[in-house]
Order: sequence, then C-alpha cells, then structure tokens
Amino acid sequence: MTVRPFRRALAAVLGAGLLAGCGAGGAAAAAPAGPPQPGGTLRFAVSSDQGCVDPQQVGSNDSIYSLRQLVDSLTDQDPETGELKPWLATSWTSNPDATSYTFRLKSGVTFSDGTPLDAAAVKANFDRIPQLGARGTLPKGYLAGYVGSTVLSPTEIKVDFDRPNVQFLQGTSTHSLGIISPASAALSDDERCAKVIGSGPFVLESYTKNSSIVLSRRTGYTSPSSLAEHTGDAYLDRLEFRIVPESGVRVGSLIAGEVDAIGNIGQQDEAPLAGAGIQLPARANPGLPFGITFNLSRPFGADPAIREALSWAIDRDEVVSAVYTSATKPATAPLASSTPGYADQSALLGHDQAKAAAVLDAAGWLPGPDGVRVKDGRPLRIELTWFNNAGSNKPTLELLQQQVRRVGIDLQLRERPISDASVIQQSGEFDALWGNLTRADPDILRSSYSSKGANTYRFPASPLDDLLAEQAAQSDEDQRSATVAKILTNLTENYLTIPVVELTTTLGVAANVHGLKYDASSRIQLYDTWKSQA
Amino acid sequence: MTELLERPQSALPEPVPVQVTRPDRGKLLRFLGHRPGLVLSLLMVAFVLVAAFAPGLLAPGDPGVGDTAERLQPPSPAHIFGTDYLGRDVWTRVVHGASLSLQATVIAVAVALVIGGLIGLLAGFVRGWLDDLLMRVVDVLLAIPAVLLSLALITALGYGTVKVAIAVGVASVASFARVMRAETLRVRQATYVEAAYAVGTRWYVTLWRHVLPNAAGPVAVLAVLEFGLAILAVSALSFLGYGAPPPAPEWGSLVAEGRNYLAVAWWLCALPGLTIAATVLAVNRISRALDGEWRRFR
Repeated sequence: MTVRPFRRALAAVLGAGLLAGCGAGGAAAAAPAGPPQPGGTLRFAVSSDQGCVDPQQVGSNDSIYSLRQLVDSLTDQDPETGELKPWLATSWTSNPDATSYTFRLKSGVTFSDGTPLDAAAVKANFDRIPQLGARGTLPKGYLAGYVGSTVLSPTEIKVDFDRPNVQFLQGTSTHSLGIISPASAALSDDERCAKVIGSGPFVLESYTKNSSIVLSRRTGYTSPSSLAEHTGDAYLDRLEFRIVPESGVRVGSLIAGEVDAIGNIGQQDEAPLAGAGIQLPARANPGLPFGITFNLSRPFGADPAIREALSWAIDRDEVVSAVYTSATKPATAPLASSTPGYADQSALLGHDQAKAAAVLDAAGWLPGPDGVRVKDGRPLRIELTWFNNAGSNKPTLELLQQQVRRVGIDLQLRERPISDASVIQQSGEFDALWGNLTRADPDILRSSYSSKGANTYRFPASPLDDLLAEQAAQSDEDQRSATVAKILTNLTENYLTIPVVELTTTLGVAANVHGLKYDASSRIQLYDTWKSQA
Repeated sequence: MTELLERPQSALPEPVPVQVTRPDRGKLLRFLGHRPGLVLSLLMVAFVLVAAFAPGLLAPGDPGVGDTAERLQPPSPAHIFGTDYLGRDVWTRVVHGASLSLQATVIAVAVALVIGGLIGLLAGFVRGWLDDLLMRVVDVLLAIPAVLLSLALITALGYGTVKVAIAVGVASVASFARVMRAETLRVRQATYVEAAYAVGTRWYVTLWRHVLPNAAGPVAVLAVLEFGLAILAVSALSFLGYGAPPPAPEWGSLVAEGRNYLAVAWWLCALPGLTIAATVLAVNRISRALDGEWRRFR
C-alpha cells in the first residue's frame, strides 16, 4: 500500500514530461505531415562514441548513424528487396567469375572541399583501404583479394580482385566503402579519425570525443542516391548527435522534447515512449545475430561438447521475452532472418537442459561440489568478454549466466570498453566473445569465420573455408543461397558460433520528425528527413 | 572510575594512559533513551552486520537467480523490495550484497588506517627530515581529489572488489596520517614518555608501548567516520562498473543497474540507494557518539 504515493508522484513527474513533449510538437503527429519543410536541427541522442569520425573506420551503429551522412557510396541497396541501385555509380558491370568490376560514375560530383569525385578519387580510396589498421576490418573485408583499380576515364573505373568476390558489390553500398576525398584518404588512420571530408549531404562541423558529433547541411549537394525521395540539398540545417550513455536520460530527454530522436531503446522504454506519442520505427538488422563465439584456439573453445552444451542450455525465447523490444526475434541460424541467403536452423538451436547435461556428462565434465562441472580438476568456468554498447547486453548476459548455470556451466562476464573491441579481436585474448555484426550480405560469414581472413575466432583450416570461398564466387543467386545454407548448417551442427537473439534496431523518434528511413543494413539515412515546425 | 577518563578542558591537556571502565547500566539506558537516533543507528549497523555474515538468515533465496515471468514487480509482501528486470528479488540482492560491500569497506578502512597510521606515527615520532618527506607525500595525496585518485588507481590495478577497496583505502591514507601525526606529536611530549626515555627504554618499545596506544584514540574515531565515507566511495566505484563483475549484487552496482528502469521501476534504484544512505548515516551517528558524547553525558 505504501507504493501508492510514490506512484502518484512518479505519474505527476511523467505527466509533466509528457506535457512538455506535446508542447514540442506532439499535436503534429495526428495531422497529416504535408509537404516537407526545410530547415531545423535534428538532435539525436546515441549511447556511445567509438572515438572516430571516419566512416571507413567505424563499426558501431551509434557512430554509423551520424557518419553515414558524411559520405555517398557507389551503390545503394533497396531495404525492401535487397537489390542494388545506382548512387554515385550510374551503372556497373562485372566479369562472369566476379573478379573484376567496372563502374560508371556520375559526372560533376564534388567533395565538400570542392575537389572532384572522379575515378581517381575512388581509386585513391580503394588503394588506401587495405592499409588501414585494426579499425578498418569492415572495408578490408569487402575488398578481400583486392589487386588494384584502373582509371579508364574520369567517370569510369575498373576494380580487380585476385579471386572471385561477389559480396564486393553489396559492400559498395555500405558506409564502410563510402568515398572520402583523396586528401582525407591520404592522411594517417588517426588523423582521419579526427576529421574527414566526404561528398555526402552533410559536412562535419565539430566533433568532441564522448560528447557530440555535429554535422551541418552541405549547400550545393548534387549526388543523392537513386532511392532518395528528393534532389538538391538535404532538408535539415544541422544534425546534432549527442552522446548520452544513460538510457534513462535519453528516454527522458526525448519525452521532454530535449532531443528529437534516440537510439538503443530498451524493452522498459517502449510503454512510456509510446504513451508520449513517440514513433518507434523498428527494423531487424541483417547479418550476424547477437551470440557467443568461442576462441577456438583456447581449450574451452576447442571442446565441441562445451559449445554444444552451452547452446542447448540457452533458452532463447526467455531471453527475447525478458529483455528485448516487442519486435525482436530469437536467433534461428548463425545469420539473421532478414539477410539474403538465410536458412532456418532452429531444429539445432533449441533449449534442452537435459540434453546439455548429457552432452557434458558424456564428455567427462561431471558436476563438482558447488554444482559447477569439473574435468581433470579444472572447473567449467568460461570467461565471456562483452562490450557495453547496447543497453540490452548486461541483462541478456546475466540471464544467460543464470540459464547455463542450471546445467553446471559457470559463465563469467568480463566487460571491456567498446574502444578496446578491435584490439581484443585482433589479439585473440578472450575465451568467448559476445557480439553481433550487421551486414546485408551473407558474405559476413566468410569475413567472420574463414580461417583465411582476420580470423578473430582462430578457426582452424577446414572444409568450411572452401564453402565460404565458394559462396563468394557464385554470382548465381540460387546457387549461392544453396552454398550459404550448407555453411549455416555446418556452423550450427558444429556449434562454431552460438547465435542467441537477432538485433532489432528500434529508434524513438519525435512525432514531428518525418522521413527518417532505415537503409538495407538497418542504419539510417537522414537526407530525406525533415521536421515540421511548431 | 569514570572520572579517570575525563580530560580537563584546559588548553594543554595532559594525556592519561587509557583505562578500561565498566559501563554503568542505568546510565547507559538513560544515555540511549535520550538518543533514539543512536539506537536506530546501532540497530541498522547490527542489521548490516548480520546481513554480511549470515545473509541466509534475512534472505534465504539465491540473489543471482530470478524468474523472468515475475520481473519488475513493485514492492509487495512477497518481494518487499520488489523484483528487478530479470525477476530477481531486490531484497535478497541487497542483503547478499552487504557482505561484498562491507568486505570492500573494511579492507579500504584497514588499508587507510594501517598505512596512514604508520606514516603519521613515524612522522610524528621521528620528526626531522623524515617528517618533512612524509608530510610532503601526504600533501600531494591531499591535493588530488579522492575519487579521482581512486579512479586512477583502479585503472592501474584492474577491476574487482578488493582492488576497488585498496584504491579507496589508499585515497584516504592522507587524513589518517595527518591525525595520527598530530596525536603522536602531542603524546611524545607527555611526562610518561619522557620518563620512559629517562629509564632507558628502547625507542621502538616506547613507540609501541606508550605512544601508539595513547595516540590511537582519535584515529579510531576517524576510522569509524571514514567507514561511512568508504561505503560511499566503494559504492560509487562499483556504480561506475569497477567492482565485482555481474551478477554480484554490490550495493553500488544495484543502484547502477536500476537507473535504466527509473521511469518504470523506481524501487530498483531507490531501495538499494536508501540502504546505502541509511548505513552511512548510522555509521556517522555512531562515530559521533564515540567522539566523547558518552564522556560528556552525565
């Protein structure tokens, strides 16, 4: 009964916030949006900062939201169909074995510093990418086997690979292969992290580490994607990305009208936000779902019984219903269901405690005095390294910890700062990693799990490598899907990775913000976005 | 007998060797009867101690296991502190967290007391260049804000409850050193210390037998006071995520976990936070009582 006064006080506080939210334009939600109005500043609160403003060197969604707006890409991917559409390139061709691509570029496009975006500029970008350090894993993966580019004419460039590379084309639509000016490309990795010049609809105005990234509209923008809904300059004057690590503060700021949009919505935020008239657009991220992947060169990772038991011990449905937003789905394959080439593996990814226990018993891991299983005097204590780049990570991992403890696996959670992520992946100093990777192409499997690439997880050479290389060379979609399905089965049967939950991006967007669109990788494009003025 | 403990209020008090007195029961009851706050504080500390040493008595459940179907339940008779985002009972987590938080606090105070006490004792007893040297080191420690110093130490030491405790302890060495030095300076001029010198007692025996026991009183009171501050500092560091890894229910991390749910579940932050506040207030009240309140009471 003593709860009541508290609740009433809380309701009063929330109510006040709600009224403030309405003052900022809640009423506009009901009315039709009308024609786009230019002007205004979009204030966007994100939870983390990767410490870099070079789109080619970031991988965290929180950074990509802002940096995607700085650069244009050669192609654009239709979020509905997954088809590639023209952007900077008006057309492209490839040779039959997918080792050589020729792009025809739009003419007259310039970077924001006035230098022309021509074939030479694209070549400068591609030539530089293989030399990027650990932060450049994504674009380096897209350019796997890169031999060189040939400038055929100022608007024509030929890109050659020493092996088939089908996924390159989808790669050109991502922020990672967004084109920056040759002068920026020539700078050192760290210098690029402080400032880059692109050809995008917005230019970098200021960057304060762990505080804000401010972009302003570029006047005279001529190169929107063919998927954009208008031409000419972007509608918004400025984009202010604020780094707000506290999820409660982000939600409160949005309800109070202090910001116009926020990322990283948690399950607990949905009801208060929806009640305040906030839009909650959601899209399932393609690519690798959130999951646990072992370092296969370490004793725990090398033991297939442990990997299999861990997978059976996890109750994915409970994780989703307890922690994630309503639009989220449990993982049913090592690839998210919105990725081209996805094939359901849910038969192998069920929850069965008895089976998990049986697998461990058979492998000689027997329950010890405190319930944790022991083999040869060594307790089954697995250290899982994770990064706090999503508010859902901690509750998810605590829940997984509880679930696997029931079968005698002691999962220890080791949190590291997100800025250390690439260093840890490169050094291989982990037993197991928790994470995901967003990409709208199944080749993400090759760049993550082939023993011939960066090989973060220290996979041994195996027939899997051949399958991964095979799909990268198959330009026929059906054939490629069949190969990808084989890969997924191989990964799942051997429990080489243990997918848990598909990431679903849910943003909170104020009612007066219109035209905020997800791209094929569930990141955002703000070129068509506009705010109705109060 | 109590008269012996009475220090004259004159400007230059002559320290008297510590004597043990038997408390008078009637006086004790009257003393406590006039101080309900102190009684509450004693009860609170007793409660925290029980929670730290026998958490099972107060909360028989497992603090690390919850039922997700019952998550974010408000306080009710079944869950008096409510449940958290995984359905774990917050009361159980607070009770079981007491031992972790208290362990860290005790280590922190012990580190500060031992290191600070020794530095002060040496500086005050030896004087001269050693005093100058040690006090300049203490000056440097005092010049750096305590939390900042703790954070710097944590970065060097790594994460974990014991490391947090050491970082907090080192950061409060300076105040112990200062108080201990002042007391030592006072005591070493006392007649009985001079007498000890005069009969040829070795210096370390004098230090150990005569100076230390008589200079330790104010430092002991400071230790109790510091206990409250250390609970806060340890909680602050574990709030920031430097403490034990999840799911360990350290008090600070309990508050930290709850802040994402503030709008929908106030009890996640409020109740562990109130527990921390109540413990700190209780300890402060007790340290005030130890600082001569009993002596002044008639």
